[in-house]
Amino acid sequence: MRTLRAASVRHLLRHPAQLTLALVGLALGVGTIVAVDIATASARRAFELSLQAVNGSATHQIVGGPRGIDERWYVQLRTQPRGGGAGAQFAPVVSGYVTVGERVLQLIGLDPFASAALAGGAGRAAPALAIHGPAQVREWFTLPSAVVMSDALARELGIAGEGQFELAVGGVPHRATLIARLADADSGPGFDGLLLTDIAQAQEWLGVVGRLTRIDVRAPAGESPAEFVAQLRARLPSDLTVRSTRAEARETFAMTDAFTVNLKAMSLLALLVGTLLIYGAVSFAVVQRRAIIGILRALGATRREVVVIVLGEAALLGLAGAVCGVLLGVLIGRGLVGLVSQTINDLYFVVAVNAVSVPAATLVKALAAGVATALAAALLPALEVVTSVPRLALARSVLEQRARHSARALLIASLLLALGAMLAIVTSSRSLLAGFAALFLLLLSIAAATPALLQALADGGARLGARIGPAARLACADIAASLSRTGVAIAALGMALTAMIGVAIMVESFRESLRDWLAQTMRADVYVSAPGIAESLERRLDPRVIAALLAVPGIAAHSEGRRVSVSSPEGPVDLNAVRLVPASYPGFRFTAGEPSRAWPQFSSGAILISEPLAWRLSRSVGDSLTLETAAGPRTFTVAGVYREYGNDRGEVLMDLGHYQRWWQDEGIATLGLYLSPGTSVAQVVSGLRRTAHGQQALLIRSNADIRALSMRIFERTFVITRVLYWLAAGVAAVGLLSALLAWELERSRELALLRSLGLTPAATALLTAAQTTFMGLTALLAAIPAGVLTALVLTEVINRRAFGWQIGLHLRAAPFSHALLLALAAALAAALYPAWRSARLPLAAGLREE
Amino acid sequence: MRRLTELLRALALVVASGAQPEYAAAAPPAAASPAASPPVPGFATALEPRTFEFPRDHGPHPDFRQEWWYVTGNLDAADGERFGFELTFFRVALVPQSTARSAEPPAALAAPASAGSAWRAREIYMAHFAVTDVARKRFRFEQKLSRAALALAGAQAEPLRVWLDDWALEASGASWQLHAAQPGYSIDLVLEPQSAPVLNGAAGLSRKADQAADATYYYSIPRLGVRGRLLRDGRAIEVHGLSWLDREWGSGGLGPSEVGWDWFGLQLADGSTLMFYALRDRNGRREAHSAGTWMAPDGNVRALTDADVGIAVNDEWRNGSGDRYPAGWHIRVPALTLDLRVRPVLADQELQTTPRYWEGAVDVSGERAGTSLSGRGYVELVGYAQER
Repeated sequence: MRTLRAASVRHLLRHPAQLTLALVGLALGVGTIVAVDIATASARRAFELSLQAVNGSATHQIVGGPRGIDERWYVQLRTQPRGGGAGAQFAPVVSGYVTVGERVLQLIGLDPFASAALAGGAGRAAPALAIHGPAQVREWFTLPSAVVMSDALARELGIAGEGQFELAVGGVPHRATLIARLADADSGPGFDGLLLTDIAQAQEWLGVVGRLTRIDVRAPAGESPAEFVAQLRARLPSDLTVRSTRAEARETFAMTDAFTVNLKAMSLLALLVGTLLIYGAVSFAVVQRRAIIGILRALGATRREVVVIVLGEAALLGLAGAVCGVLLGVLIGRGLVGLVSQTINDLYFVVAVNAVSVPAATLVKALAAGVATALAAALLPALEVVTSVPRLALARSVLEQRARHSARALLIASLLLALGAMLAIVTSSRSLLAGFAALFLLLLSIAAATPALLQALADGGARLGARIGPAARLACADIAASLSRTGVAIAALGMALTAMIGVAIMVESFRESLRDWLAQTMRADVYVSAPGIAESLERRLDPRVIAALLAVPGIAAHSEGRRVSVSSPEGPVDLNAVRLVPASYPGFRFTAGEPSRAWPQFSSGAILISEPLAWRLSRSVGDSLTLETAAGPRTFTVAGVYREYGNDRGEVLMDLGHYQRWWQDEGIATLGLYLSPGTSVAQVVSGLRRTAHGQQALLIRSNADIRALSMRIFERTFVITRVLYWLAAGVAAVGLLSALLAWELERSRELALLRSLGLTPAATALLTAAQTTFMGLTALLAAIPAGVLTALVLTEVINRRAFGWQIGLHLRAAPFSHALLLALAAALAAALYPAWRSARLPLAAGLREE
Repeated sequence: MRRLTELLRALALVVASGAQPEYAAAAPPAAASPAASPPVPGFATALEPRTFEFPRDHGPHPDFRQEWWYVTGNLDAADGERFGFELTFFRVALVPQSTARSAEPPAALAAPASAGSAWRAREIYMAHFAVTDVARKRFRFEQKLSRAALALAGAQAEPLRVWLDDWALEASGASWQLHAAQPGYSIDLVLEPQSAPVLNGAAGLSRKADQAADATYYYSIPRLGVRGRLLRDGRAIEVHGLSWLDREWGSGGLGPSEVGWDWFGLQLADGSTLMFYALRDRNGRREAHSAGTWMAPDGNVRALTDADVGIAVNDEWRNGSGDRYPAGWHIRVPALTLDLRVRPVLADQELQTTPRYWEGAVDVSGERAGTSLSGRGYVELVGYAQER
């Protein structure tokens, strides 16, 4: 046993390059998982902290429609607690978004007394006072424009001392005065995106005088929550809802589910590739020691001992790789946090991620995954070696024979896996998880088929090469004969290339669909909108500004729009209320419903829903959707489903007139301007800018500008996907490099023999390069059809199930040429060192290994 | 959340700096802060005696910086159980009425909805509600704070109504109604004045320190019959008894050397009442501006000066933090041949608010002109606890 262990250690140390590459492969795989976990966890943590920063002790919230809650309900709750909700604490909140310079901040208006009472005795002894003494308290209440923010944020915004600065609400500038800073030590990251002010100030700035965004509630201790909620609900009007804060947080963050699931799947892909690499490395290490293991077995080492040694080796390798992976993952994670929060900010809600949180569970999970992966990868070779008869284990040929057999078995497995993928797709209609399962089965199927493909091609190549010359025949036959070692590396590369091609085609197809859609749907020549967060209430054009803008010469017609988020029994729904002009109608492409029937219904109060919403809520033409209006819940009929790529949560399209009637909200957030024929867009845009100047900072963009902007945001959201698939490809490249390197090094005596038979060093190098290139191209060959298939699964299954989008497949050369480049680069890199070495090695030294 | 709690503490300090003026003197930086350094420009000051007019003067006096409505009382239940209660409303103005912000100059082009918010306020209300449950040896208190806006808190004269959330003191015909609730205890009481308002100090002008502006207008109704219902842990208990109303308003504070006071409001069985406040300096010595009022059984009133009243402390009580409070007194007023011993009905009647103070029900025994006499009352002890 001791001999065995010593042999094991010595072997590993004698092959440092191989050891390093296996470690790098595993570390990259584990690192990617850790990085994605860290990035999403940090975004979630920042989101939770920002919720807890304000009235963190609240157990429930009372919320209203898009216009919030009439503040008189709050007064009633406080002054007549006996009507229901007695013993509870209530605190009003008015919130919205403001911009300071380039930075979007959440403005929180609160009543400090109510918030403090809601907090109860929590943290009586806190040493850090934001507001020091009576003077600042008086300022908080009586100084117009008084705000408080964290010290870190003040520094970031470059506000010195207790200075004044300008903030903008929907483009309207206001002067703000920083009266106090929250000390860094005490405020924590939850306050990093928050600007606190008095509730009166927030109402005035946000233009929501008389309304509250929500009322935070702390239920009395010792009372049944359900009973409390029922009592509270009974005394409130029907357009207000009571829900638990946890449900609220869950619901809000759940918006990002499809996005984060996608990220997780990408990171698992990297680990899957890593698994194959570890398998390759361990089985290779075993193969190299077949002789010594055979001798030891003959000398009496038991099977158990051999298995324990091999698995122990793998576990050690796995642990080391996982530890490196965790460290690497934390590093990559820091980079990814920015990308993830950028995407969340672009698509979902504002979250300021300033701290990277590394969940302990992630670390444990990653370490376990690393070790388990290595053990699983080592199990097969370990069993393989011990099931051999001791004497036979000495023979390489037995192993290669077996590899050729197993290639055939793998081909069958590949077919079964593909069948499984198909079944997973067919038997489930909505499950995203099943979609991803199918995707992984498909990728595994590709991996399983690659060795057989390699063998077939190599055999074919050998027959073909026989006609060209002995060297060509030898090169191909050699590959076919070394399947046990090259097969796995090729499979890993094939899988990575498949994923790369698949994702690239998917992104490409998505981009083209988006471009087509933008071209079709953006009908107006110029768009004017108030800046701010898409669905926020304060994002509104001043009516006087609208009137002035419409008076600019050259405008023939205009459409108006308002975006808000409304409650429905199925959670919040984005509502896009529009007043269309005839030229707008062709911009909508129906995927269900007849335009000739749908539009008249729309004008008389029916709604249209976008594809993602139709998918998410399982609604189609003729169905109905209940929305919480200012007059309580109301059911609307769905007249049609239209294509929309702008909002992955989906939206309801409603006539603006009907929206205003049901929600009592007269605000207009966007204008679409149609110009008279022959009018210069640039001229009108500058005329509009002049008109709005000094009144409201507006986003005035030409049709072309807005399309370019949309495409930019699109590219930004896929940056993270690209990063992840390059990571997976990197893992595969490293794997190929390591396997080929080992193979070539092991063959050095064969090469020496060839050289002694008269092959020049250059020819030897060429031979090596040709062989690795052959293998790289084989992987690519498998990956091309598989990649297209993967892209189909991604667009038709994954995207459809995650977002409800239908995307037409667009095939371009770029994804394939990138994959080709990667395959060649990996293959050539793998050939470089062995070629150099065998060309330089003294013949005698090479031959001596015989 | 801790930060907001701290905000509350700071705000309570401001409120306290008005209502219990020793903090005005102590709050840094006194010089830079008008709210903390009397006299305050823009606020009316209590310099001259005024003509009191009721019911108008039961209502608020918004020209002055601070004001309070203080009701304390001793209650008996039918089964012999005994309770004490305190319900107090403080009003504190942050800025004088004249300089209160009318409207922010509209930014470039204000949206139509950006009219002034109803939450804008220049006054803050604080209220304390405490119950002493003698039989169960319990003392429970709660504090509420609110801005005077949106009918959340406020005061009006006719008809009288002072409220914060659902706690209220309001006139109902000739009587007044009280309501307050906290976990475990709530009260619904009706008060009937048994005497006319008594003007303290010089015809209602009560000077507190050397500086003339450190004065308040101060009247009391020392005997109000009370009856009603007390809810303990959800169970109603019919109660009746006697309570006391103190009303004070002004814009000043205490003198620089004064750190606190002991206030006595004693109702004696013969129908007489004694009010006295003893102002203390840092060394615990009585200040010369200490004063009081005696109301004879026939309703005649006599002002008492510092020299008229001798007080000896004969017991003490320590709170959980080790602060020492006096807990038993021997009060002598030779001019009235009055000799009284005063004892708390429960040792711990400290309100752990900001600032901390002791306000509790007491028993009185003793004699006047040789005739033995008993009574009840309330004592307030301010400035004994270290702020933390």
